[in-house]
Amino acid sequence: MSTTATIFIVDDDPAVQQSLRMLFRSVGYRTEVFNSAQLFLEAFNDQWTGCLVLDMRMPGMSGLELQQQLNQRQCILPVIFMTGHGDVPMAVEAMQGGAIDFIQKPFNDQDLIDRVTHAVNKDKRNREALGEKNEIRQRLASLTPREHEILDMVVDGKANKVIADDLELSQRTVEIHRARVMEKMQATSLAHLVRMVIAADVGETSDVGVTRLTRV
Amino acid sequence: MPSPFDQTAVTQGPLRQVQPELETLLDAAIDGVMIVDHKGRVRLMSHAAELIFERHENDVLGHNINVLLPDFDSLLRKHVISFMPNSGYARRGQLLGQHHETIGFRSDGARFEVELGVGTIRGIEPSRYVVFVRDISERKRRDEALRRSEAALHTAQALANIGNYVIYNDGATEDYASPQLIRMFDWNIGEEEGRLGNLTNRMLASVHPADRTAVAQAFAELESDAATVDINYRIVSATSGICYIHHLAQVIRDVHGNAIQHVGTVHDITERQLADYELQQMQNRITHSGRVSILGEMATGIAHEVNQPLTAIATYAKACLRLMNNGDCSTEEINATLEQIAQQALRAGEVIRRMRSFVRYHEARPEVIDSNHLLEELVQLAQTDAHYHAMQLVIQPAPQSLLVQADPVQIQQVLLNLVRNAIDAMQGVNDPERIIVLQTSLNEEGDVEFMVADRGHGISAEIAKELFNPFYTTKVSGTGLGLSISQSIIRAHGGKLWHDDNPDGGARFFFVLPRAG
Repeated sequence: MSTTATIFIVDDDPAVQQSLRMLFRSVGYRTEVFNSAQLFLEAFNDQWTGCLVLDMRMPGMSGLELQQQLNQRQCILPVIFMTGHGDVPMAVEAMQGGAIDFIQKPFNDQDLIDRVTHAVNKDKRNREALGEKNEIRQRLASLTPREHEILDMVVDGKANKVIADDLELSQRTVEIHRARVMEKMQATSLAHLVRMVIAADVGETSDVGVTRLTRV
Repeated sequence: MPSPFDQTAVTQGPLRQVQPELETLLDAAIDGVMIVDHKGRVRLMSHAAELIFERHENDVLGHNINVLLPDFDSLLRKHVISFMPNSGYARRGQLLGQHHETIGFRSDGARFEVELGVGTIRGIEPSRYVVFVRDISERKRRDEALRRSEAALHTAQALANIGNYVIYNDGATEDYASPQLIRMFDWNIGEEEGRLGNLTNRMLASVHPADRTAVAQAFAELESDAATVDINYRIVSATSGICYIHHLAQVIRDVHGNAIQHVGTVHDITERQLADYELQQMQNRITHSGRVSILGEMATGIAHEVNQPLTAIATYAKACLRLMNNGDCSTEEINATLEQIAQQALRAGEVIRRMRSFVRYHEARPEVIDSNHLLEELVQLAQTDAHYHAMQLVIQPAPQSLLVQADPVQIQQVLLNLVRNAIDAMQGVNDPERIIVLQTSLNEEGDVEFMVADRGHGISAEIAKELFNPFYTTKVSGTGLGLSISQSIIRAHGGKLWHDDNPDGGARFFFVLPRAG
């Protein structure tokens, strides 16, 4: 568990806020409490990690409206909705909007802690994956055009000799470039290199993809 | 009728050998005087008798008196004496009888009522009789008219269930109570004089003990200086149980202002009272069912409202246990948490208490209450629903305390109904604020005005026409009774309910209640 993981609680009921705060403290989470969706949105920072525990029904901006706003800001913080009785249609909407989970009030403490822990871990994995991908992209960006050319051919499984012929280079030159690629990409093996290139390609095309990472 | 003269007529001269004093006496007498001989023949007829029978003395003299008084003969036989000579009574002479009522004939054969006084003349043989005749037909007619009038009055009193009485303060005249009053009060008394005793005390004794002081005080005020008394009270009747009486009375005073007579009517309004009561009961039941129905619409919101403290309680308790097991919880924190748990339990209980007291069946009991207080209480009640629908209630109370005479539950019912309508009107309306404004103010007429304003989709002219009709509703699950009941409640409180367009969009509902105090 990341030490920086924080449970963000958005609920307009002070007693519910305080009791949740205590419960999360009992299992070692940091908490941040917001009285309304607006206040959370105003304070929101995309570097926040952990999990958002969000009440569905609140005066002013509702939980669902906050979720939409966060989606527009490409927030990847996992969202657990707290619902009342008979709010199934809203819960369905929340899940379609990308919520990781929902839980009915009043809830079993262990149940909530399990779900929150799951969400926090998911967030951590998502962020690690996201961080790794960004790292790979940075390494890729450091390659010269010639090195990039050779990387593509290596990943395609071409031998040095074939590459040398295709690029009308000496086999020795290809070997030097290839060694530079492995070094810049910090690849420990050819398989590692291939995996990194594939990982960097995933989700490269759309913004939605970024948030979809948070889905279960 | 066959004339008895034909058989009995005997030609004799007029019996006018009386002294001038007696002649004058006869002529001056108001009653008619006749002298009849032992065979019943008229021997003398005074001027007054001529007038009574509308005959001349000369036409009657020597004829049997039967022609004038057909029952004279049988009357004398039956009651007093026979015409037979030498009968013991006749010889004894003097007054034979007075106040005999019988029938007389006038010349045209018309019957009329007469009263007779008959005596024999002493020392004359054969006997002669003096007959005094008084025409009592007019008196009889008046008596009869009076009797009929009294009978009609008694019948009317019986039908209308109204009795009347007169109390005389002269210390001599017996108080009067009409038969219907005696029946109404169920007094088991006879017909004899003085049977009523002191009527004031007798009436007070019949009054329900709980009302007696008030009635006695009203009577006392009437005796001293009050112009009239107009009170309702209960009496306890031996056979009918409790009856409701409407009592009107006034006193007649002498020039010094002293009460001489105390006259009054009592009206048994038990049936009307019971009908009113049943109507009121019906009204109460409808009003109550309106409250139940409003609460039904709010059920989800109420569940949500109770859920919040329950969630907090469960979470506090579990969190506290976990922290205690971790050894990460101070005594102070445990105390504070338990305190919080208790508070949240009370909060949940309070939600339920409010709902229960709102929906409990109760009879309308107006009290003098601050309209702003009504508004605050209402917000407590309506908050749940508004909160559930993510709406905000904003109260704008009048700066001063405005008192109204009202049943608080019923006024809250009206307000809650209006707030519920406002919430429904704002469903799906894209207003980021979603505010319902509740306001109290003093209007130009000096009445207390309540307002509930929404920013919903407003009320079209089409809907406005039907708005207050029972069973008219634009809601999927509405009863259509809310506004209709609200209007009845406000009318019963002497106010009125109306609506207009909110200048900011949406609708505004108003009602006024008379200011109290």
